Amino acid sequence: MRRRNELALLPKSPLLITESAHEFDALRDAFEQEIKPRGIIEQMYVHDISAIVWEILRLRRCKGAIINAAFRTALENLLAQLLRQPMQSEYDVRAEAKDLAHAWFTDKEAKKAVSEILSQFDLDESAIEAEAIRRSSADLELLDRMQTSLESRRNKALGCVAEYRASLGHQLRESADRIIDGKGVLRLEDAASTRSTAA
Amino acid sequence: MASERQIAANRRNACKSPGPRSGAGKNRSSRNAYRHGLTVSIASTAAFAKQLDKLVREIAGDSEDAITLERARAIAQAELDLARVQRAKIALIERARAFGELNPPQAFRTVTQIKRFFSALDRGRLILPKPVDSSATMPSQEPYRSAEAIRRVLPELRRLDRYERRAAVRRHQAALDFVGGMRPNYNL
Repeated sequence: MRRRNELALLPKSPLLITESAHEFDALRDAFEQEIKPRGIIEQMYVHDISAIVWEILRLRRCKGAIINAAFRTALENLLAQLLRQPMQSEYDVRAEAKDLAHAWFTDKEAKKAVSEILSQFDLDESAIEAEAIRRSSADLELLDRMQTSLESRRNKALGCVAEYRASLGHQLRESADRIIDGKGVLRLEDAASTRSTAA
Repeated sequence: MASERQIAANRRNACKSPGPRSGAGKNRSSRNAYRHGLTVSIASTAAFAKQLDKLVREIAGDSEDAITLERARAIAQAELDLARVQRAKIALIERARAFGELNPPQAFRTVTQIKRFFSALDRGRLILPKPVDSSATMPSQEPYRSAEAIRRVLPELRRLDRYERRAAVRRHQAALDFVGGMRPNYNL
């Protein structure tokens, strides 16, 4: 019940309209089970970690989609290079390469033909992927940097939970020692008034 | 360090500056307000102020101590700042997903197009270029459309990432200050 109240107070993690809120909640629950947050501040950290991990997953999906989207142009370029005869320019074979690249996605025969062309040069389908990655390298580099930055934030956030708990633990130990020593415990209100008097 | 006279001279000279002249410079300075907008305190709007107060109350518990409340407020403010940047990120991606880009389509995209327009005008012909519809160049299917939208707003996302990072650091520092100044009451 308390957890539900705390979660209701925290701002909802915004998702893209194509993303599933149910999946995000499942991810968050998994982190909650691992970290076992106590109190709203720890809930904030868990919330943050879930949002960061969700964004990392989003960027990973995006990376895959960018490479896949570059596949057709990559194949077209590769074929134009491979189909070209010694006295021909790339322009002469461009139309043939374009048709074959287009058919490669739907036609088994075309796929076989492309494989044969590639094998003539000791290449396989990984050459297409390599060309697709090369063509998208500028975007992939930027995505990589963002992902690295997010991963470092996620690690720091995990460290923050530990640091916060250690700090809280330290305060609690100090208070427990005071009880054992019989010095009494300084109340929050007392601490504030002591501070304001000192000021 | 600059002397007072130098500072005054710098200010006078800055007043004479016509501001950015190049397209890139104007484009960059046009984002100043947007950049600073994210650093404006969220407590300035009524709805956020209410949300902030609720969160402060939850963090501080029953305490009425001014310092505890102030520390709780710092945590809550950083938390809501963080949420605001996250919402901005999503909004940018969704906008790019819908329209293909963040800026409205422009009639001239390159200097060459502007030159062509004026040379045609000199010859007495008015040829208005059609603005390029960026949404037409977006893939129609998912997940490619979303991926393309993210790709197109990557520089903006990187910029917002810095704000997010700063807000997270601020919140953590505030949380440590909060527990650092806390003296749990066992005399219940």
